[in-house]
Amino acid sequence: MGNHHHDEKRLAGEDLKGLYQKIDRRNFLGRTAMGLGAIALQQMLPLSSSGATLEDQIMKALPSIAPKAKRVVFLFMAGGPSQFETFDYKPKLQPLYGTQLPDSIRKGQRLTGMSANQSSLPVVPSTYAFKQHGKSRTWVSELLPYTAQVVDELCVIKSMHTEQINHDPAITFFQTGHQLPGRPSIGSWLSYGLGSDNKNLPAFIVLISKDASKDQPLYARLWGNGFLPSEHQGVQFRAGKDPVLFLKDPEGYDGADRKEMLEHLRKLNEIQNEPWGDPEVNARISQYEMAFRMQTSVPEIMDTSKEPAEVFDLYGPASKENGTFAANCILARKLLEKDVRFVQLYHQGWDHHGGLPKNMEQQCKQIDQPSAALIVDLKRRGMLEDTLVIWGGEFGRTVYSQGKISPDNYGRDHHPRCFTMWMAGAGVKPGFNYGATDDFSYNIIKNPVHIHDFQATLLHLTGIDHEQLTYKFQGRRFRLTDVHGHVVHDILA
Amino acid sequence: MGLIAFLMVTAAITDNGPAMPADVAAEYKKITGTLDYNQHVKPILSDKCFACHGPDKAKQKAGLRLDQSKAAYGPLPESPGMFAIVPGNLKKSEVFHRIISLDPDYLMPTPESHLSLTAKEKAIVAKWIDQGAIYQPHWAFVKPVKKDPPALDGEYAADHTIDRFVRTRLKEMNIKPAKQASKELLLRRLSLDLTGLPPTVEEIDAFMADNSADAFEKQVNRLLASPHYGERMATDWLDLARFSDSHGYTVDRLRDMSPYRDWVIKAYNDNLRYDRFIHEQLAGDMMPQASRDMIIATAFNRNHQQNLEGGIVEEEFQTEYVMDRTNTFGEAFMAMSVGCARCHDHKYDPISQKNYYELFGFFNNVLEAGQISWNEDMPTPTLLLPTEKQEEVIAHINENIEAQENKTMKTISAATRNADEWIAQQGYKKLGTEKIPLPGLMARYLFNGTLVSETDTSKKGEMKYDAGAKGDKPVFTNGRGGQVLLLNGDTYLDLNGIGVFRKSEPFSIGVWVWIPKTMKDGVIFHKSEAERLYNFKGFHVNMKNDRLEILMAHTAPSNAIIKLAEKDVARDKWIHLTLTYDGSSKASGFNLHQDGALVPMEVVKDKLYKDIIFFREKEPGIQIGGWWRGVGFKDGRVSDMVIYDRQLTTYEISVLANKTTWSTLADKNYNDLTDNEKKILSSYYLMAVDTSVRNEMTQLKKLRTSLSDSMKGIKQLMVMEEMSKPKKTNILLRGQYDQPGTEVFPNTPTDILPYPASLPRNRLGLAKWLTHEDHPLTSRVAVNRIWQQFFGMGLVKSSEDFGNQGNLPSNPQLLDWLAVEFRESGWDLKKLIRLIVTSETYKQDSYASPALRELDPENSLLARGPSGRLTAEMMRDNALAASGLINKKIGGESMKPYQPEGLWEINSASYKADSTDAMYRRSLYIISKRTVPHPTMATFDASERSSCLSRRQKTNTPLQALVLLNDPSFLEAAKVMGEKMSREANADYAIRMACKKLTGRDPSSKELEVLRALQRTELEKFRANPDKAKGLLNVGIYQIDKNIDRALIASNTIVASTIMNSDATITKR
Repeated sequence: MGNHHHDEKRLAGEDLKGLYQKIDRRNFLGRTAMGLGAIALQQMLPLSSSGATLEDQIMKALPSIAPKAKRVVFLFMAGGPSQFETFDYKPKLQPLYGTQLPDSIRKGQRLTGMSANQSSLPVVPSTYAFKQHGKSRTWVSELLPYTAQVVDELCVIKSMHTEQINHDPAITFFQTGHQLPGRPSIGSWLSYGLGSDNKNLPAFIVLISKDASKDQPLYARLWGNGFLPSEHQGVQFRAGKDPVLFLKDPEGYDGADRKEMLEHLRKLNEIQNEPWGDPEVNARISQYEMAFRMQTSVPEIMDTSKEPAEVFDLYGPASKENGTFAANCILARKLLEKDVRFVQLYHQGWDHHGGLPKNMEQQCKQIDQPSAALIVDLKRRGMLEDTLVIWGGEFGRTVYSQGKISPDNYGRDHHPRCFTMWMAGAGVKPGFNYGATDDFSYNIIKNPVHIHDFQATLLHLTGIDHEQLTYKFQGRRFRLTDVHGHVVHDILA
Repeated sequence: MGLIAFLMVTAAITDNGPAMPADVAAEYKKITGTLDYNQHVKPILSDKCFACHGPDKAKQKAGLRLDQSKAAYGPLPESPGMFAIVPGNLKKSEVFHRIISLDPDYLMPTPESHLSLTAKEKAIVAKWIDQGAIYQPHWAFVKPVKKDPPALDGEYAADHTIDRFVRTRLKEMNIKPAKQASKELLLRRLSLDLTGLPPTVEEIDAFMADNSADAFEKQVNRLLASPHYGERMATDWLDLARFSDSHGYTVDRLRDMSPYRDWVIKAYNDNLRYDRFIHEQLAGDMMPQASRDMIIATAFNRNHQQNLEGGIVEEEFQTEYVMDRTNTFGEAFMAMSVGCARCHDHKYDPISQKNYYELFGFFNNVLEAGQISWNEDMPTPTLLLPTEKQEEVIAHINENIEAQENKTMKTISAATRNADEWIAQQGYKKLGTEKIPLPGLMARYLFNGTLVSETDTSKKGEMKYDAGAKGDKPVFTNGRGGQVLLLNGDTYLDLNGIGVFRKSEPFSIGVWVWIPKTMKDGVIFHKSEAERLYNFKGFHVNMKNDRLEILMAHTAPSNAIIKLAEKDVARDKWIHLTLTYDGSSKASGFNLHQDGALVPMEVVKDKLYKDIIFFREKEPGIQIGGWWRGVGFKDGRVSDMVIYDRQLTTYEISVLANKTTWSTLADKNYNDLTDNEKKILSSYYLMAVDTSVRNEMTQLKKLRTSLSDSMKGIKQLMVMEEMSKPKKTNILLRGQYDQPGTEVFPNTPTDILPYPASLPRNRLGLAKWLTHEDHPLTSRVAVNRIWQQFFGMGLVKSSEDFGNQGNLPSNPQLLDWLAVEFRESGWDLKKLIRLIVTSETYKQDSYASPALRELDPENSLLARGPSGRLTAEMMRDNALAASGLINKKIGGESMKPYQPEGLWEINSASYKADSTDAMYRRSLYIISKRTVPHPTMATFDASERSSCLSRRQKTNTPLQALVLLNDPSFLEAAKVMGEKMSREANADYAIRMACKKLTGRDPSSKELEVLRALQRTELEKFRANPDKAKGLLNVGIYQIDKNIDRALIASNTIVASTIMNSDATITKR
């Protein structure tokens, strides 16, 4: 949405538009090597002033794969929800209650500093019942009754894995492809690679549930642009009177007043720029226009009060209260309708080292109905086919109890070696279960999906080859998947 | 199809070489003159070839490397008889055939790499091979040489050296330098560049009226002498130093590092030589006669992020911090991305993985915690920063302590006579009934089936787990002829507040333990929080790698006493341990005894300077056998713990350990006592019986306690401190903390500059290596950053990367001349800056004709003056200064200006803006919380300070428009300006003054016309509808004058805000 210049080698939005008009990219790039296409292009288009080869610019700017997902919504369950109490049904654990986790399963790999020193690792099965649902016969726990009703739309991946065992590195890794701060987040890469389809809203919008328990903090860098130009950063839309920072004009000074003031400002800028002829000033004038449009469009979109009653019924009682996960799901749907590229919802409170059963009940209650409703809502509006919905957290949880174990109270530590996520909509197989873990949900026994694979697949679904969407910074070409990642073709519809 | 056919045609042939594709041939023809390897060829090879054929040995494909001539000219290891490059012979050069190939299996770079060469790039490589493929060393690794620029005449004539370099280039290009900028714009440019503040109206007027020849130089001198110069310079340095008020990472608590910021500001204001500036920051603590300021400077290496997340692995983060220091060292001083070599050899630059860990070795000697305090305690090591008053108080108490120590010694020797008398009168006889020493006994727990104290049945221990959860029953087993407590490693016995001692208070703790053979590590007992943290506070007896460790800490590991047994401890048998402490805060006074004998121990740390308790109402006491999230005393047994509030004598310790009994002495008559026995009894009497000695000891304890109380409030700063015994450094395979490879020793990359034998292999030596006169990078990197600061872009655009992948210098001769000049001047920064700003080049008008903009969009030729958007800090400071709200206090702790509500809440913290004029302080003092950057600053591209940053982005976004329009920091300034304007009788004059304050110049008549019209429209509107002004006039804490027409103020506020949002304010021209 911004106008970055000088530094990075990328086509400006206007150039891109021209390019789209002149060529049919799929025909053009289809099966020819990128290089050939690019060289030929040089005959047709003037080189932009940035000095990069046009080929580079195209590689970065254009999707090379037919996109399935025009937009993405990621319901991020921060803290790491337990797979045992949600989707990964492990009946064989029941008789093993309280027994020591066998070394043959644990295989001596590292644990977090929280349970590494625990003198015993007692196995604890889920205290909640599981049933199979839908035509897909997908196992879902009794904590997710609404999700159970939409399983035939979901592609449940039970074999996710990561290398990070603590929140900060793990969540940073999930969102940016690297465990240390400083890299761009997924939404920023998408904004950078695909640009925006909406002139009045940012391409990457973040919503944070206010009804979640705040056991693990969040950090703005999770939706940060890293070294990408800052126009690609996620913009947090907040419940309340000022949904985007500084969006609201001073009380009493309404839109018409602001418009008049900006009109004078535009004139003043034009006069001031007369002696300079600086294109940067023109760019700024248009940024002020965009800001003004956001002042109208954002409050409009944030206002869900005009939604019909049945929508609130669908998303559940909490959806009437601004800022809840349920309300944010409605808001996400509205943003997706406006073709916002990437909407990321954060719901905290899944870090259940102790008191897991009670906390899981509450957490699941908050997210179950709204998540399922979002699927239903998108589907009936015909949007599910080109919207990718993702649900999951940064890692899973251990089969053994952290701390004391009792029938109605136990805890689970962080477990990076396997966890469950689901995806739905654009381009993924509906009603599909993928990957499997051992009887302890400790190790993956079938079809592992690494975070980088997940990221590669996500990009693939939006039409981007994860190996080609790169950005040169400090002498090196960076990408979301670092030097790893494989598209999980098995789950593609 | 047509396109592809077009590309398939290979037509032209070089003079006598092989066939070339038409497009390459066309480019080839265009190249005239000799190609320069560094300038023309290497950027292509580095970017497109070195990843697989460069310095990274592990990644070299087909055994080929193209970054060195010898390897490139040699036979291809996997293709006998073939050569990558044959100088002068294109046909025989495999490289050429590969790059022009259309066969995807043969083509280089490979299609999988997603890299490809343009026709022009191919032509350059071909031409270079034709011309002899001459390699040159990387420009930045060759020591700079100072060569005077040629003399110029006519319109290019110049006296100033910088101008001669710049104009030589312009003359070659046939571009004329620009005329000088207008005086008003020039003063604004200079003021903002040198102080970060706009010129005041008075300063503008004075300069405009000054027609003397050296009018400009006078301004330069004035501004260089301003204390705000240091603030301006510090702002950029703090980006490099990743200075922040918070620890970063997940929980991101605040810490105060402001003394370091103050040091930087002062260093610039004092014009500290740049070599000293480096030395002190890298090794101030190791320099001779290190002063407090020099040690403060070393906080540079502690500014990195630190983690306190509960589950992290200690060693992992210890390693991470050293890596941060190493990476920052490379980037801040040498503009080298050494961090790339953490996991593998650098792909583009001659820095091997071994080189990386050799550098790492210089920074690996700090005794620090990987997992820092969960609470607000400052991670150690720290420097105490007492105020003058505090210093006086402490000196006074210390004098008293010393006097009291002497007095106590005298009293003891005087009391020796009393002891003799006591012995002679057989006072010791009654000791015969004492099974264990009784004086000072506070509690005794036998654990023979109960957790109740034998001495006081109201005192009762309790089994707990995790952070203090209750409900477990103790497990007893047979042992020592009765029942003993058996532990499982997780559940621990909490004595509920018993055993709370301060560092000023002597104590002794005895206990029988049975340590199982299976145990290598684990805590026996401790006095601290239930949770094991590496920042440990309190004391403990712990097993560490088969040995017993005793520790007493304010914040471990560096504000602590740590002692480690020289030998492994006996297992699978009952042993008796006694921990004794004399209240001295010294390692010598803190000891462990096994079975009555002193355990020989190595002193790991002897630097305890703050107290060891939490100062809480409910202070944790001794806990036995476990700590939450730590290794406990698994399968260990415990029996008979005794706690004394004094230091036991050696004989008493033996009694406790059943090595002897009191009755062996007590049963003897005086005459049967040996001299040694008399001595034992004498020292017992003095320590346990004599009231005069006890009174003096009590007095000493009181004084020591008051010292500790006075130390409590003293500010601490994280600084560098070397470990007494250097830590071993190994190469870490794949950069993983837990995968050590070969051991390495401190060293620097030879390709940059071999480490002189004369320098010590420590941080101080390293600092001196950087400023060695033969170092090719340090002075170049420094002058380039200064250049960037004044021209918006360095002579090397990639100011963060002087390696193979960085940009080439736009004017290499100028860069080298400045680099040498700077070093030869005695690293005099102000002199360098004066040199730059007094050049005609700097003073040029910044106008660019469309043709010039097209030719040189980034102004690398310097045919015009610098221009650009104000930095985040300047933007806010300019508004504050123009409104007069600004508080120009220099230095001190960070402050909190306006910030929208709720931002810190995502990070489980809350933000409360300052309510005093502290909030109008300059922007470099705005509190920096890494996980939630201040939005006003972040929106204008300020660094979030997570890592070293050399060059900020320069963006132009709608969010910036929203900040300037509606952020109270700006709106309030506009309101205050609006109020001032409303006091003026003449509306035009009011507008003119507002313009001048914000933009540094008088408005043109056209600008004035627009603003006048705006003011009138707004005034009418506010008059007609007073409610419209409500929000505007209520913004911020500033209260407007109630006697002035509100509508007028509001309309003027809008005018001021409009000027604030206009280009003349936003852009420095």
